[in-house]
Amino acid sequence: MALSTFSISTQKPTSKFSSHFSFGPALPCPQQQKLFNQVKKRTTGICASLSESGEYHSQRPPTPLLDTINYPIHMKNLSVKELKQLADELRSDVIFNVSKTGGHLGSSLGVVELTVALHYVFNAPQDKILWDVGHQSYPHKILTGRRDKMQTMRQTNGLAGFTKRSESEYDCFGTGHSSTTISAGLGMAVGRDLKGKNNHVVAVIGDGAMTAGQAYEAMNNAGYLDSDMIIILNDNKQVSLPTANLDGPIPPVGALSSALSKLQSNRPLRELREVAKGVTKQIGGSVHELAAKVDEYARGMISGSGSTLFEELGLYYIGPVDGHNVDDLIAILQEVKTTQTTGPVLIHLITEKGRGYPYAEKAADKYHGVAKFDPATGKQFKAAASTQSYTTYFAEALIAEAEADKDIVAIHAAMGGGTGMNLFLRRFPTRCFDVGIAEQHAVTFAAGLACEGLKPFCAIYSSFLQRAYDQVVHDVDLQKLPVRFAMDRAGLVGADGPTHCGAFDVTFMACLPNMVVMAPSDEAELFHMVATAAAIDDRPSCFRYPRGNGIGVELPAGNKGTPLEIGKGRILIEGERVALLGYGSAVQTCLAAATLVEPLGLSLTVADARFCKPLDHALIRKLAKSHEFLITVEEGSIGGFGSHVVQFLALDGLLDGNLKWRPLVLPDRYIDHGAPADQLADAGLTPSHIAATVLNMLGQTREALQVMS
Amino acid sequence: MQTYGLTIPGADSRLYITPISAARPAPDPKPSSLPVFSSRTRFGSIKAKAATMNGAVTAEEKELSFYELLGIPESGSIKEIKQAYKQLARKYHPDVSPPGRVEEYTEKFIRVQEAYETLSDSRRRALYDQDMARGLHLAFSARRYQYDEGMEVKGDWKNRWQSQLSELKRRSSYKDDRQNMSWGARMRRQREGLADEV
Repeated sequence: MALSTFSISTQKPTSKFSSHFSFGPALPCPQQQKLFNQVKKRTTGICASLSESGEYHSQRPPTPLLDTINYPIHMKNLSVKELKQLADELRSDVIFNVSKTGGHLGSSLGVVELTVALHYVFNAPQDKILWDVGHQSYPHKILTGRRDKMQTMRQTNGLAGFTKRSESEYDCFGTGHSSTTISAGLGMAVGRDLKGKNNHVVAVIGDGAMTAGQAYEAMNNAGYLDSDMIIILNDNKQVSLPTANLDGPIPPVGALSSALSKLQSNRPLRELREVAKGVTKQIGGSVHELAAKVDEYARGMISGSGSTLFEELGLYYIGPVDGHNVDDLIAILQEVKTTQTTGPVLIHLITEKGRGYPYAEKAADKYHGVAKFDPATGKQFKAAASTQSYTTYFAEALIAEAEADKDIVAIHAAMGGGTGMNLFLRRFPTRCFDVGIAEQHAVTFAAGLACEGLKPFCAIYSSFLQRAYDQVVHDVDLQKLPVRFAMDRAGLVGADGPTHCGAFDVTFMACLPNMVVMAPSDEAELFHMVATAAAIDDRPSCFRYPRGNGIGVELPAGNKGTPLEIGKGRILIEGERVALLGYGSAVQTCLAAATLVEPLGLSLTVADARFCKPLDHALIRKLAKSHEFLITVEEGSIGGFGSHVVQFLALDGLLDGNLKWRPLVLPDRYIDHGAPADQLADAGLTPSHIAATVLNMLGQTREALQVMS
Repeated sequence: MQTYGLTIPGADSRLYITPISAARPAPDPKPSSLPVFSSRTRFGSIKAKAATMNGAVTAEEKELSFYELLGIPESGSIKEIKQAYKQLARKYHPDVSPPGRVEEYTEKFIRVQEAYETLSDSRRRALYDQDMARGLHLAFSARRYQYDEGMEVKGDWKNRWQSQLSELKRRSSYKDDRQNMSWGARMRRQREGLADEV
């Protein structure tokens, strides 16, 4: 019966098989070992031959070795040859899993060998392995007991797309934003030292994440503290996301990348070293000291200009190393592991993003983030939508503004694709600035540009702007410099989860004295707000828009919006008794809620506030005086739009009369990743929820229950 | 990974204590020449492994350059290389070698094969000549003369990180001396101090 699971045509041997081996280290008995060998011969070879033919499996190939691994401890008895096979099987497993669910592919493929080597050499979870950003942790999750859940990746109640402490003890630190692992790893190393334990700490960080200041802060501190830890620099020369603009691969941003690549190409060094060795041996005598001295000098001569940076920071540099060679990786990791008292060590790996999947290797963006796709052809299944994303609309709006005004420039932080700035870059190559993963620098850089009379637009995700908050306050708002912030991914973001959720931007922007804060309710409004922001030249301004596509309203002619009157909202539906005052995308849910209660004979007023700061006082007064109930709705945390409205109501005396006010905001907890509709339901901000709130307020509790079911 | 046989740049075969002064396509094993190579360190070169048990191929032959092995001058043309190769291949092929000396002849055959493969490919020959000129006379198979820059580069890397690893090991032995007052060193000493007490 075991034979049946080995036949090549079956597709799902995994869950059946792994249950056999869940009770402990799985040492295949001799008969099964023979079966493995037989299967090995029969399989069509999961490795190199495929890249040459340019195709890939259409069916999931059998993964006999991977089927026996549930946890890293099951790997400990494998030989290096078997580990290589395991890496190949793991690679195909990742590809087939991501093809069914979508997610991050290229980065995971680049670290398959590294993951195998790390789990073989180290003993997670006692040894801490941290994955920066976490989007490359798919092989790690497969090897640490979550293989059977891989088909739930990034879905409601499924695996998170990044490492998450609450998900597994093997995920020792939650990631999502970049450049945090060295800091966290150092913290874990120091904590271990203080507690007197002796486990290992390994922090894996990419060359893109290395462009962030926090990585240097951490390395600086690590070198100073001299605590034992291993930092693995995963260098695949992909510094910006996606790793291409519209016209082809992006050359790496920043001076660091060229320094790193110089490290890889220093050829004469080897020979110099060998000669030095030869010299010491010829001289003979007290070989040790002399050799040591020569080594020291040779090392100094040999070190490329980049490694001295790490050395100066106090890290011991090893590399470059071929990151896809399991033998080398294991040898190095074993050596470093068994060496006592190393202090911080940095191992520089050279990997290829998307390695092992021919379509990813060839693609300009290396299949960084993909939708569901067909493994055999690499074609992604992108749902055809009638409207484009808000991101695209923003880019087009900015391009239209920049055509008219030559002072408009765009700044983003290594997110050219995600913010749509690649479109802007194509149109205005000299007016688009990618600063690498450095939001703090981006904001102050924009402030500097504004000082010179330019009109900078910072396109930074709402959650990433959190990194640059002091710069927003101190460098921009305090000095009242006209920097414009375009905050994409505001509100709930779906599959990426709470790490990327833009819940707080209304709160932290609207409390700043000089900031103009606005939010479009649809894509046409977005065009107008871009124009408005371009026109506001005496103070900073910001606007937020969600992830997702537009609703399908007519766009302004030539993509050029008209500036709105600042501090003026609009009423969309005139009703009575109950008013819904929405902010941003919540206005659409308010309109849907109004439609829901219409059959019950209720006619709600729906208004779009447009501005959180300055508030449309006249509009609010009008709504307050002519309605009995006022509900403010926003997809943001407490302290945002609703709080500003009620502050005004209170100060204006409008709460002293007949008015009842209720806020609808994101709840006081983090909403887990999942489908956008599920998240909205979890947050209590669906049209049904709004309708139910209205009905409850009116005392019609039975109808409220009905509308919720 | 093979170590390289290395000479000081500029040295020539004079430094090899070997009776072979010129290239000999068919050197016979000379057990008497073996002891000479025990004083390896004096010549600043890391020779390849010592002769095999049955004295099949002496270490000295490993110092022969490809040209010397094939018995052609360094400026030999492709035709000469081919001729020499054919001759030697016919002589040393395992199938036609005298019984009792099969292993020795096979090894020689392999070396001749490698020499031919390297020298007949113009790129690889160029690389090999370059190395010779720089005085890096490498033992057979120690350096893959594939014109695969990736492989070459990776070979370089491997050497580099191997030496970096040995340096790390060396440093770790004195890392936590009294002089090192870093926080980590102090914590480690503390931990070790406690371990000693126990």
